[in-house]
Amino acid sequence: MAIDRRLLVNVDWVLLGVTLLLTGLGVLTILSAAHSGHGSGLYLKQLYLVGLGLPCLLVSLLVDYRRLADRAVPLYLLAVGALLYVLFFGPRIAATRRWISLGSFHGTLQLQPSELVKLVAALFVAKVFAESRSETLGLRDVVGPGAAVGLLALLIAAEPDLGTAFCLIPLFLSVAFLAGLRMKAVLALFVVLLMVGGLGWQFALKDYQKTRIYTFLDPSLDPKGAGYQKIQSQIAVGSGGLLGKGYKQGSQAQLGYLPARHTDFVFSVLAEEMGFVGVLTVLALYLLLLWRMLETAQLARDRVGAFLAAGIAATFAFQVVYNVAMVAGLLPVKGLPLPLMSYGGSSILSSLLAVGLILNVRMRRFAN
Amino acid sequence: MRIYEDLRVVQTRVGILQSLVAGLIVLLIIHFWTLQVVRAKYFRALAENNRSRLVTLAAPRGPLLDRNGRVLVENRPSFNVLLTPEDAEDLDGTVAKLGRTLGMGEAQLRERLVRRAQFRPVVVKADAPLADVAALEARRVELRAVSVEVVPLRSYPLAAAAAHALGRVGEVTERQLQSPEFSDLQQGALVGQAGLESQYNRSLMGKDGYRRVIVNSRGLEVAEADRRSPVDGPSLTLTLDSHLQAAMDRAFAGRAGSAVALDPQTGEILAMTSTPAYDPNKFSTGIEPALWGRLSTDPGTPLVNRVIQGQYSPGSTFKLVMATAALEEGIISPDTTFYCPGYLSVYNTVFRCHKASGHGVVNVHQALALSCNVFFYQLGMRLEINRIAAYAKRLGLGAPTGIDLPYEAGGLIPSPEWKLRVQKAPWYGGETVSVSIGQGQVNVTPLQMARLAAVIANGGKLVRPHLVRSRGGQPVSEEAPPDQGFKPQVLQVVRSGMAAVVAEGTGGRARLPGIVVCGKTGSAQVVAKSRFDKTPTLTSVLPHGWFVAFAPAENPRIALAVLVEHGGSGGEGAAPVAHEILAAFFGLKAPTEPGVAGVTDPETED
Repeated sequence: MAIDRRLLVNVDWVLLGVTLLLTGLGVLTILSAAHSGHGSGLYLKQLYLVGLGLPCLLVSLLVDYRRLADRAVPLYLLAVGALLYVLFFGPRIAATRRWISLGSFHGTLQLQPSELVKLVAALFVAKVFAESRSETLGLRDVVGPGAAVGLLALLIAAEPDLGTAFCLIPLFLSVAFLAGLRMKAVLALFVVLLMVGGLGWQFALKDYQKTRIYTFLDPSLDPKGAGYQKIQSQIAVGSGGLLGKGYKQGSQAQLGYLPARHTDFVFSVLAEEMGFVGVLTVLALYLLLLWRMLETAQLARDRVGAFLAAGIAATFAFQVVYNVAMVAGLLPVKGLPLPLMSYGGSSILSSLLAVGLILNVRMRRFAN
Repeated sequence: MRIYEDLRVVQTRVGILQSLVAGLIVLLIIHFWTLQVVRAKYFRALAENNRSRLVTLAAPRGPLLDRNGRVLVENRPSFNVLLTPEDAEDLDGTVAKLGRTLGMGEAQLRERLVRRAQFRPVVVKADAPLADVAALEARRVELRAVSVEVVPLRSYPLAAAAAHALGRVGEVTERQLQSPEFSDLQQGALVGQAGLESQYNRSLMGKDGYRRVIVNSRGLEVAEADRRSPVDGPSLTLTLDSHLQAAMDRAFAGRAGSAVALDPQTGEILAMTSTPAYDPNKFSTGIEPALWGRLSTDPGTPLVNRVIQGQYSPGSTFKLVMATAALEEGIISPDTTFYCPGYLSVYNTVFRCHKASGHGVVNVHQALALSCNVFFYQLGMRLEINRIAAYAKRLGLGAPTGIDLPYEAGGLIPSPEWKLRVQKAPWYGGETVSVSIGQGQVNVTPLQMARLAAVIANGGKLVRPHLVRSRGGQPVSEEAPPDQGFKPQVLQVVRSGMAAVVAEGTGGRARLPGIVVCGKTGSAQVVAKSRFDKTPTLTSVLPHGWFVAFAPAENPRIALAVLVEHGGSGGEGAAPVAHEILAAFFGLKAPTEPGVAGVTDPETED
């Protein structure tokens, strides 16, 4: 399949540039967070993964997003299958089943299907709502797609991986909202979600998850336990000050007080070592990234494209805001990586592919 | 597929999403501003607190050596078993296992865990034997919350035999921490709590150092930021002779009492014992609060240093003061005689001599040797109370000697002025008669009596008893003792009387082969009758026996006071003890029978 030169002209170079910039900053921060000891090769691994992800991104541009959306239902079924497989046959790591083993490459290479399921869900939701013909949607119109996405969320939550499962909620809500869901229905959905949340608290949450939430509300309950991460991350952020302690100079990060500092708390390392100036820069970059993504939703030539871009943007926005707020001690600690910056192959791959899908929508905004 | 879909609603609503996202990110930026700029100082302090630890480098406490360099107090390494309950995954299991390993009851272990600071290890067993340490090492994996630390432990090789002079250490108390002297110390610090350990505490402690280290999240040290080395506490070389000290303790053979020996020329204390005593080693670990409580309520008062805190009537030993005063004042000459019919009847009272048939005509030499009361009644009436008191004070009685030990008692020499002030009553002449033989209100400490013997022995120099010769190798300078200005011939008469006490008088049991011992016996009437009504044992009604002495008669090298509580007369109760001490001092083999064969008691006094 040849690619039209016109399409190349319309690639959103700003979005791609910001993506590469954030990814690069991520690699540098991972290098600082884990530059000694047995984690010293992690930045290199991340670099390889970016190197693997970028070609995938470019290849994904070749396929018209509408073709992909047309295959949303089989992709959805594949996703359910993969999640079931993980749940029953995935290797058990730290009391969870989230991974599919893919052999060995600089250590074991594992794929976390839930990261890619987010993209499938975005395609699926976009397709389903795009085909709805009515101007406005009532609650009844969203029950079907809601149940379908809910199944994915439940399967991911069962791994358990609550953070990723939660990502599907903003995805679904934002697309439903764009598709014309009535405001009353939006509110009703919130109520339903709250009730589901309440029941989930009662029956579905594991004890460690409850403790996390309790200690979030009062970290002094367990300063050495679940409250530890929040306290230490806040100390790292706050002690960074205006200009930061300098690259590789953060005592919280370098002396190991920060937990998960190259994965979920990578932003904390950046805040400690680069200070408020660094935080401001990176958050501005994320804002630009999200802005361009949503702009794509506005510019898209059709509903599928708009919904796809908006759904992906909403997921991204949720992850960025949640992760940064968690690092700042505003939200309970959850295993939710910062897109593009956190260490993790599945996360970086899925993030780059997500950017690819948005580039895909934007570059084809004039095409027939 | 339609070419033109109506996307206006979508576009408007995307605009709402954009604003929402921008709004959230701006809120986050504001929050980071407050964390990183407004509250930066607070978090920087927390980060600093995280990364640096102040590790105290304890300065070893200075050792105490005897006059010949033998160790009296030292620090020996010991093992403490620590438990940090926060580190235990299963505290009950850990306590049970630990109890089995250490052979301690679970209740005993749990008692240690109450009243403690969080996250700080608790000493569950102090000075654990090596076998325990090995057993714990083998169970290291199961007992992760348990650790073993090596700490220097204060060790007293003589144990109870020198308890009161050396003293003991213990954890600094709450009250001490509030006093300015200890305000710089931390809770748990070991300080001297009695004796020399307390008197020279600051010097012995040295100066603690510290290390400021950078630690990682697991508490492992990664770098050292700053350090100050500790300054060892300097050693103290004492005047004590450890052999004599041990012999003195043995001489008491478990009886209650006290003895102190000093060099009459310098006031250096050669040995000092007070019984019953306690083992100061037991206090060294600082974790036996019950021990102190038990000892402090013991009716035998083992914590009291009787040498400086026991106040007794001097009894007939006070006759040394009377003889010196009367000779010095010219009231009598060595040849002046009085007739003793066995009693003296004055002030409508009959004052008895202890020999009912009377000693007949006696001079001062004979009166001392036989301890004739009537002779000294006569002196008392002629001297009168004020002169007696003045001489007693000139000879060092009635005031603390200034020994370098805490809490020394002063004793009491009564006078009309004192009686009016304290008892609000006039002085009666009959009281002077009682004072003349060391009864009534007169109170002295054994140390004062030993020093009295020294003053008579050295020709009138009021030496200050002291226990430290040098500190950290530097000799401690002792001021020249003030000469009290007694006529040499006066003291010579008293000395010859004292020689007669041992050679032919009441102190025969203190006699030594080949060495002339000068001494004086005495017995202190036990005043507190009420106490004996509570514990009416046979021995408790007996008077306390005194013996003060110096030897040899020419160039005396040792002055001594011995008090045996409820030991009966000084000649029977105290002189044999003095004999053993003197024999040890002069390197003579002590005979199996304390009384030298052939010694007969010419009299039994009072």
